[in-house]
Amino acid sequence: MVDDFTLHVTHFSLLSDPSSSTVSPFQMSSSGDESPAHEYMKLALEQAKLALRNLEVPVGCVIVEDGKVIASGSNRTTETRNATRHAEMEAIDILLEQWQNSGFSQLEVAEKFSRCDLYVTCEPCIMCAAALSILGLLINPVAYNTFGCTPTTGIRAVYYGCANDKFGGCGSILSLHATTAEQFPSTKAFQEKGFKCTGGIMASEAISLLRSFYDQGNPNAPKPHRPVQIS
Amino acid sequence: MQVLHHRSFLCASLFTLSLGVYAGLYRAMNWDILYVPDKITTNEQSTVDVFASVVEPRITNTLIRKLNQVAPLENLRHVKRVRKILFEGKAQLSVILCRSLGQENQLDGIPDEVLELIKSYQLHPFFTKVAKYAASSKEEWEEQCKQWPTSYHPPTYNIDGINGFSEEDSQKVFHFMKVAIGLTKSGHLGNQVVNAAVIVDPATREVIANACDCTFTITNNSSLQNINWNDPAESIPSHHVDANEVPEDERHSTCTDNGQVRSYTNVSCLYPWSWTQQQPYSRNSLVKCGSTISWHPLRHAALVAIDCAAARDRRLFPSSEPSTCQSDHVDHLQSSTSSPAKRQKTELFREDETVSEASANGLPSEMMRPYLCTGFDIYLVWEPCTMCAMALVHQRIRRIFYAFPNPNAGALGSVHRLQGEKSLNHHYAVFRVLLPEEILDNVVSNCA
Repeated sequence: MVDDFTLHVTHFSLLSDPSSSTVSPFQMSSSGDESPAHEYMKLALEQAKLALRNLEVPVGCVIVEDGKVIASGSNRTTETRNATRHAEMEAIDILLEQWQNSGFSQLEVAEKFSRCDLYVTCEPCIMCAAALSILGLLINPVAYNTFGCTPTTGIRAVYYGCANDKFGGCGSILSLHATTAEQFPSTKAFQEKGFKCTGGIMASEAISLLRSFYDQGNPNAPKPHRPVQIS
Repeated sequence: MQVLHHRSFLCASLFTLSLGVYAGLYRAMNWDILYVPDKITTNEQSTVDVFASVVEPRITNTLIRKLNQVAPLENLRHVKRVRKILFEGKAQLSVILCRSLGQENQLDGIPDEVLELIKSYQLHPFFTKVAKYAASSKEEWEEQCKQWPTSYHPPTYNIDGINGFSEEDSQKVFHFMKVAIGLTKSGHLGNQVVNAAVIVDPATREVIANACDCTFTITNNSSLQNINWNDPAESIPSHHVDANEVPEDERHSTCTDNGQVRSYTNVSCLYPWSWTQQQPYSRNSLVKCGSTISWHPLRHAALVAIDCAAARDRRLFPSSEPSTCQSDHVDHLQSSTSSPAKRQKTELFREDETVSEASANGLPSEMMRPYLCTGFDIYLVWEPCTMCAMALVHQRIRRIFYAFPNPNAGALGSVHRLQGEKSLNHHYAVFRVLLPEEILDNVVSNCA
């Protein structure tokens, strides 16, 4: 997710840095036969458009379980005045509430999350990537080794549109999905076996939404001539 | 109520170990505030070897342009390419040609393009050393410039405390840290230590929000202290605290029993991945007692506090903008879990707040409305994890004070150092509040 007003579109790139630990960008289908990933990303883009209509920074996401979209979220930072209400957090909260109401235990919820894929129009920020790691959506090897978390079956993936060069948490700035792997060489096999974080899916669409937001000027940015904060 | 004792024992022992080290180091210490810098500074000056040459002033511009193309100074952006010194009463310019592979008097490592420039401009390369890293202080910069000039960019922010605290300011910091520590034992779990957060407006000493970890909460239905994580402001009202008022029991804490094995497995930021282990031994029995359990793996103290601060913002500064009116509507529709009664109560509460605010200070103007938490400080008992630390970047917190490091997942110096990530669009200053161990013992013994 992206921030409210200081960010410019130039900070988003179509593909993440190839030197990062992010796996190679998703194959853009040029022939017109669209992969399921594109279908899900289209839904995430719909959520981003919804955010744009609400004068929010246009980022959206969907969470997919067994091929079915089970939650969606769009950025609500302006409306809530809570800059942590990124699309991912919105979708996660829907599922947590729903599953908890259905009587699932924490362990069951963790297992459910680990079967989910996340499609988000912009690379998850450091906060969201850390949150995904906590939930088990992005598996942090340290969580397994040091904290004795119950390994969950079927590690799933995060797919994103444009990379966030300014504070992306999946390779651009920090690589939280694999960050401490080097310290734990024994986990490398595990890491390779499982999860992936794939960028570049319909990135140009995601960027053009962001561009249209910043072009119109962020109406919610603080007034430029506000008095300097007295310290 | 003995709940949640059988959690990750492995991590408990790991942390006890590190806390032991910590306690050993700081055992007899008084309260103090340490600045946690953006990057780890080393005492010894690291240098890089370069070749330079004296050049004629008239060719300097052209030469630099060409050098920047063929031999850019990668990772040495702080180093000035040109040095100007007074030599025999005249200004003399020297230019860095390229990095050296470390062998003095050997020009082997010089790229061909640079060799060509040396030839065509008839330069006489000499070997010198430049600072490897950008200076982090004025003193360090002055030292660096003795070798070769560098540029120095003091922090773009000028945050109080980086250069030390006055006695008065220190006392304020200690006070609010005590408020936060007091909240670690008043968690909903009653007998467990959790992390706590207090957001403060330092200009007015007003507590904007306070919260503790809500990753696992047990609430008694008959109690008014219902925790509803959709609208935390409802359950955790922020209140004004006089900074001069120090809790009596903390001023005279005497408990020094160290035989006890401490475990802080309920501190969310210390064990962010352990939420799956949180299992009360009998959910049904609790439900029978009229208690309800709720949990949320991401409701760490800092995030709950941000939520409270945001709720306060919406309450005190209800915007006339259509977007916000609409948002309230959406809020209403989306809060399917809130009972109508609860919703009604919230709205009454909001109105009350607005009225009292208006009568006391006149109408709250939009100009007074802070942008998110701009200018505010947050006090955390434990160093925040990566998620919380980044959330505090997003919410524009100005200063972070924490008491205990978080060797497992701390993002402000322990595992990551987010305050040093230059690419982020906001930077806060981070401080560690050192405090006597008795304070913690006191909390623990009161919780046992």
